[in-house]
Order: sequence, then C-alpha cells, then structure tokens
Amino acid sequence: MNADQVNAYLAPLRDRYPESRALILPALKYAQTEKGWLDLEDLEAVAEATGLTSAYVESVASFYDRLYLRPTGRRIVSVCVTLSCMLRGSDQLYARLCDLEGLPPEGGTSEDGGVTIQTAQCLGYCDKAPCVQVDVDETEGPVLPDEAEEFLAKVRAAAQPTEVWR
Amino acid sequence: MPIRNIVYRHLEHGGDLTALSDYEASGGWKALETATAHMERDDVLYALHRSVLRGRGGAGFPMGRKASFIPKDAEKPVYVVCNADESEPGTFKDRAIMEHNPFQLLEGIALAGYAIRSRHGYIYIRGEYEHQARALDRALEAAYSAGHLGPDAHGPGEPFDITLHRGAGAYICGEETGLLESLEGKRGQPRLKPPFPAVAGLWESPTLINNVETLASVPPIIEHGADWWAQMGTEKSTGVKIFSVSGHVMRPGNYEIVLHDTSLRELIYDICGGFRPGRDFKACWVGGSSVPVLTKEHLDVALDYESLQAAGTFLGSAGCIVMDDSECIVRATLRLAEFYRHESCGKCSPCREGTMWMVKLLDRLVNGEGRPEDVDLLLKVSGRIQGRVLCALADGAVAPIASAVHLFPDEFAEVARNGSPPPTPMIESTAGAAA
Repeated sequence: MNADQVNAYLAPLRDRYPESRALILPALKYAQTEKGWLDLEDLEAVAEATGLTSAYVESVASFYDRLYLRPTGRRIVSVCVTLSCMLRGSDQLYARLCDLEGLPPEGGTSEDGGVTIQTAQCLGYCDKAPCVQVDVDETEGPVLPDEAEEFLAKVRAAAQPTEVWR
Repeated sequence: MPIRNIVYRHLEHGGDLTALSDYEASGGWKALETATAHMERDDVLYALHRSVLRGRGGAGFPMGRKASFIPKDAEKPVYVVCNADESEPGTFKDRAIMEHNPFQLLEGIALAGYAIRSRHGYIYIRGEYEHQARALDRALEAAYSAGHLGPDAHGPGEPFDITLHRGAGAYICGEETGLLESLEGKRGQPRLKPPFPAVAGLWESPTLINNVETLASVPPIIEHGADWWAQMGTEKSTGVKIFSVSGHVMRPGNYEIVLHDTSLRELIYDICGGFRPGRDFKACWVGGSSVPVLTKEHLDVALDYESLQAAGTFLGSAGCIVMDDSECIVRATLRLAEFYRHESCGKCSPCREGTMWMVKLLDRLVNGEGRPEDVDLLLKVSGRIQGRVLCALADGAVAPIASAVHLFPDEFAEVARNGSPPPTPMIESTAGAAA
C-alpha cells in the first residue's frame, strides 16, 4: 500500500486527534487490509502519512499481536487457549485443527497458504468455549474438536474478503 | 432468581436496543437531556459521588471520586476515555453491552463528559472486538444524526464528541496508562504513576478513564437518582454488577445481580446450574484471572467488594472462572501463568523475566519433570516480582499462582512428585444465557 492510499483513509479521522501520531494504529490496521500483513513498503507508507519514521512505526507495530510483520495464510484462525477455553477442550480443538492442516503442534501456515492456525489469549467469548476467531469476524463457539474438519471446510470455502481486517 | 436488568437494559426491553428509536422508547437519552437542561455539571458529579459507583474494570475505585480529581479550571482540554479493551480472562460482560445496548454506553460517556467539562471522549476497544466496534460505529452514526452527540450534545452550543479507536491485540492496553500510550500511537507500555491520568493523562491533559460497564451504569443513576443506586447492596458495594461466569458450569453467561445479595454458591449452583452429574466444585477465580483463587470453603461468600476481600480475593472484573474436580489445579495455574508471560509488555524486568520463570517451573511440574523444592522456588520467584513493577499486571500474574500453592499444597506436592494427570476437559455444547 502507498502513502496516498493511507492518507485517503486517514483524511476523515485527522480532526479527531490533536496529534498525527495517534493515527498510527488506524493506519497500520488499514495498511494491513491489502494483503493481511505488513511489509516494509506498508510501514513506510504509514510513516509518511503520519509524519514519523518507518523504524518508529515498526516498533509500534511489533508490539501488537494482530499486526503481522511476516506473510500469513489467506485466513487466520485464532483459537483461544486461555483457562475458560482450556477447561472446555480448546487444546484438543487446536491439536485437531493443526493436525488436519498438516501443521506441527505450534501451528503455522498451511502448505497451500490457505490458512494460518494460531493460538490466541482470551477472546472474550468464554461463555461459548472453546471459541475461535477467523481474522476479525465475530468469534464463534463452541467449536468442538469433532467439528474441526467442518469448521476448516467452512473457512476455506468462504469468499476471501476484499479488505482483510485482522 | 435475583437477576436485574439495569445495565443490560436490552434484557428488560426484551430485545436488542441497537436501533435508536428502541433505545429512546425505553427511556434512553432522557438522563442526558435532564442533566444538561436541569442539572449543573457539578450536580452530576455529586450524584456520581453519592452513588458510590465503583469502577467495574477491576480496580474498583469510586468513579465519582476519580472524576472529582479532574481540575475544574484546566487550561488544556479535558478528556473522557472509555476502556473497552475487555481482555481479562473470563470476562465478557462489556461485549454484551456494546453489542446489544450500545447507546447506553454512549449516553454514559456523554454524561461523564458533562460532569467533568469535557468536549471529547474516546472509546478504546480491543482489536478482536471488531464485531462490537461495528455495532458502536452504527450507534455513533445514529446518535450524531439525532443530535445526541455533536455540536449541541451538552446543551445549545455545548459540544461533545465521541471517537472510537480500535486496538490491535494487547492485554496490557486495558491497563489505563498502557491504554493512553496506545491511543497516542505508541507501544502500549504503562507509565509511571503519579501523575495519575486525572492530572496528566491523554496528551498530558486531565483524563477520566472508566470501564464500559461503569460508564453504562451512569444513565440509570442520573435517571433514577444516586440514592436509588446506593440503596442496593452495601455501603461500599452499591448497585448492580454483571458477573461473567465461565468454565465448568452448566449455564455459562453474563448475569447482572445486586451486589451482596447473592453468594458465590447461589451464583454457581442456582443461577449457573452447577456442574455435570458426578462432578463437584473445586476452584474459582471470581474476579477474572488476576486474583487469588477461591476453594470450596469460600462458597458462601457474598458477592461484593468487601466480602470477597475478606475471603482473600478481589471482585476484580467479576469474570468468574469456575472449575470442577476434573481438572488439576497445577495445570490450570500453568495456563494462567502462560497468559501473563505472553501479555507482559516487557518494560519491567521482574515481570518480563519472572513470568517466564514461573511458566518454566509450572511447566516442568505439570510434565512430571519437577522437583519437590520447585514449589517453594515458585513462591520465591513470585515474591520477587510483586511490588517491584510499574503496573498491576505482574501482581495479577502472581495472585492466582501464589494463592493456588497456598490453598492446594497437597496437590502441588503430588504433582511435583508425579506430574499432572492427563487433562479431561468438558467437551460439550451447553446453552449459555442470553445477554
């Protein structure tokens, strides 16, 4: 993404903040929608649009779990593994999802680049444990380990969003 | 059942209050209208003070007192910030407010802004809550169109704006100064206090930061009066509070109850349906995960700030995680330790290094590679973290670990000898409560 595109997105937001530095997070989140992660060009575009250096922008970006500085799969499946979900079988669900995608126990991106499977800390859907979030779609649950195959099929069959919010 | 639907007005109404007309029909925006037309700003502040409404995010500090710290003749702009970074394990109460009753939150923010002479509020919502953020986007648009927000929100020519700001995944941004850093466009690492946000907060301006539930409690307090709120509960634990209950109970969900009127036993067994046949209560983290664990002997504690403190824990965010006797306490404690290790922002060495070592020790206990002295070592490490850090995250990490070692000494000793038994999670779809 280039600085013009980022600037166009930020234009209506600028008068909401006394300092342009505050636009970094909105800008990074938007820059990420193009391909689902941020490369150097994206960081430079955000830097130019917010008047900061790309090194500073990267230092901010690297702080947040949902900003990706390396390539990811087309969809990211985040499985909550915090206590409430663990008590309801999240580890078994996570293992099953990784297994189905031929991934090691720590997760990662499937060979065809279709999905990234990762663990997540409490997603705030503990009443629906174990819960799973695809990109920033509404978190779903309970997704039982037996339903993992069906769940992945649904994720893979869904149309790729034009803007990948994560 | 002693369930009340005051903050969860949508449950009283019998359906979502996401359409402005429905919220208005249920009495919405009347509190703001009344306040701006008939009450001085200080009267609203005084009402908050007299209600003894305590912060619902975890710390429990009285909102009115916090608001009174905001200088009345500030040269810089004054801000209200709504903390919607709900990330405390086991806590999902704010999610339902934003999703089903968003206008009550906006009205509460506008009222808080009126009380402290602010013209601009920010909502900082966790990045994972995009679904809820979009509900707030729609509510903001409708509230602006109707003139509830904008140039005349606080009376003719008296503006008030609300801006929604999305996070990007970091628990520490729920810590108030970490939130301010993040909102300013920095890494979300907490600041040294003092100065407190009321003096120098967002862009070094006086800032009132409160949780979603706290702010959503303000409209009913202004509408029905501080006395009405304060006569519920006890002197120091007033009004209603939403408990998010999860884990091994049969009916997990959000339940709004009057403080002090319900015991932990009633919440777990009567309201949440207890456990599966053949299973019994073992442990509970009643205030989210950053609190000391409770055991069977605490079941009759009343759910209010003072009673829970007397029982050795905290009401916290009231994210009540309940565990039955099918799970090992050491394994559960390890899982919480892993959470804090992941979420430590890295600024203070005792937290950054200490959370890592606590995970290593617990991990080898669970995996049968522990030594008997590791349990004491765990307590020693935790003792070197507490009180040596900038923010509450590390204390929150230590609380469930140290308390579990103290309350389940036999089980820790047994796990140190033989490791944890294999996990046996409760894998079934149980119907949660509507919220």
